[in-house]
Amino acid sequence: MTPNYSTISPFLISTKSKWSRTLGYIGLCLGVVLLLCSVQMFMNVQQFISGKEIKKSGYDFVSVSKLITDQNMGKDNRFNAAEIQEIQSQPFITDAAPLISNEFRAQISAGNIIPFSTDLFLEAIQDDFIDSVPPSFQWRPGELHVPVILSADYLEMYNIFAPSQDLPQLSESSIGKVQLQLDCSGMNGSGRYSAGIVGLSSRISTILVPKSFLEWANQTYGGKKTEHAARVYIKTENISNPELVQFLQTKGYFVNKERTRSARIKVILQSFVSGLGIFSVIVILLSMMLFAFYLQLMIARSKDNLKLLQTLGYSPTWLSHMMSKRWIPVYAIIIVVACMITIALQYAFSLAFSYKESLSPFIAWPVVGVAAFLLIICIWFNSRLISRELNRL
Amino acid sequence: MQASSIQLELLVPEYLEKDKLVHSQVWNTRLHFRIGERIQIVAPSGSGKTSLVHMIYGLRKDFSGAVLCDGKPLKSFNPQELASWRKNRISVVFQDLRLFPDQTAERNIEVKRLLQPYHNVSKVTEMAKRLGVYEKLRQTAQTCSYGEQQRIAIIRALQQPFDFLLLDEPFSHLDDRNAERALSLIEEECTARGAAILMIDLQEVPFFKAERTLHL
Repeated sequence: MTPNYSTISPFLISTKSKWSRTLGYIGLCLGVVLLLCSVQMFMNVQQFISGKEIKKSGYDFVSVSKLITDQNMGKDNRFNAAEIQEIQSQPFITDAAPLISNEFRAQISAGNIIPFSTDLFLEAIQDDFIDSVPPSFQWRPGELHVPVILSADYLEMYNIFAPSQDLPQLSESSIGKVQLQLDCSGMNGSGRYSAGIVGLSSRISTILVPKSFLEWANQTYGGKKTEHAARVYIKTENISNPELVQFLQTKGYFVNKERTRSARIKVILQSFVSGLGIFSVIVILLSMMLFAFYLQLMIARSKDNLKLLQTLGYSPTWLSHMMSKRWIPVYAIIIVVACMITIALQYAFSLAFSYKESLSPFIAWPVVGVAAFLLIICIWFNSRLISRELNRL
Repeated sequence: MQASSIQLELLVPEYLEKDKLVHSQVWNTRLHFRIGERIQIVAPSGSGKTSLVHMIYGLRKDFSGAVLCDGKPLKSFNPQELASWRKNRISVVFQDLRLFPDQTAERNIEVKRLLQPYHNVSKVTEMAKRLGVYEKLRQTAQTCSYGEQQRIAIIRALQQPFDFLLLDEPFSHLDDRNAERALSLIEEECTARGAAILMIDLQEVPFFKAERTLHL
């Protein structure tokens, strides 16, 4: 039989009041729950807001147009090349691209399957501003098929309006199968093309065609080189940047308020969750201090016994190892309980918001990672503390 | 491998008055203790008997000179090496006994036995019966008489393997009959291990057959 913790436990005098220890357990568990929840909530907020597809690769993309007022009504309120250049040169704007529109008449019909025909506007932008660009979204002069990317909002609107007009409702997957006919006409002639919806955009509210097609068609049918744009899309790291807001206001440019509002909400929510995270770290630190006091008190009260054990031949390393090992299950249980509470809260949260967003009922891997990291930190802290106190004897 | 030995190299406690060094056969001399030897060191009170035990056991470092254990200065031992030295090579009966007062006699012995078991539990019972403290095993040490505590401390010291046994006035509270019994047990245990005995006392212990007697 070799010595183990039970050999030395009778010689360790714990504090008479178990309150400080129990308070330490509860405090640590509460702190860990708060920290895990704040990490989880941070990710939930990220998912909520990013679900709207504003951000791609960590950037905000927003549409900017000129504000139409009584004073400038009737004038050409489109952006010229110099204005676009000025927007691009701002330090808080990563990139900007004009959304060019058709300078000819465009009509679209769905043939005999869906008796639907309408005049419409077409727009085009450089590909890296589009949230998802399928490989088929390209056009070369001479081709008679034009790929189209439709705003997801338009599909939603169509499906609302379709039943009342005896038109079939369309799903995201079936819309690609609808064969459309695009008629282009202008002062320089007309042309008929087949068109197909190759994708949906949640970011850009328009009907997008390849830039190469629109530039060619504007020249061919409209007889004009594309120089102006009614809208400019900007790519920025933070849409709520006060400098950006100031710049847009000064220039009289109009931004989709809903998008900036959601960005602001996101910043507020993330700040709140970050604040909660900092608070939870403070709670954890306080609990660890409580544990430290408890351990220091126990070692101080057992000082004579621990010294005598060392005199008898027990090494300080072995004593420290045994005493530290004793606490591993305690920390493990606290953190597992905290994880289970976080899982339960996330499950309840996902149920509460299930009508709005498809939120995972499970906690995210980074949360599990944080829990594992905390466990390691607690064990390390404990071991260091005991070892330091024993070496001081 | 070098034979197990303890050497005292010009050992002088920092606090000791110079005049006490003059006639000492231990302080400021070169001594070599080998396994299997029976050595007796005698000295009146206040001449550093307990200090010497503590220096050899590695509890004190306030001295000049060196205590060499198998040729290595004890002062240079790290805590791990010191623990190993005390666990495997040297055992001691302190003058102040150093028992855990609020623990039973049995637990006091067991905590030493489990560290590096040399005997099984039944041997402990046998030793306790032999020294007349079997009935006291379940009592806390503080409720035993000093003489009983002394015998418990002797039994505890015999529970590990060792090459040297330090005895600091081990029979000070025992009558001759009990002291003789205890010494007989100690002799048996040391002979079985081939270990040396360093008996340190106020005067020569009459029934201890020392090969060398030194005056501190």
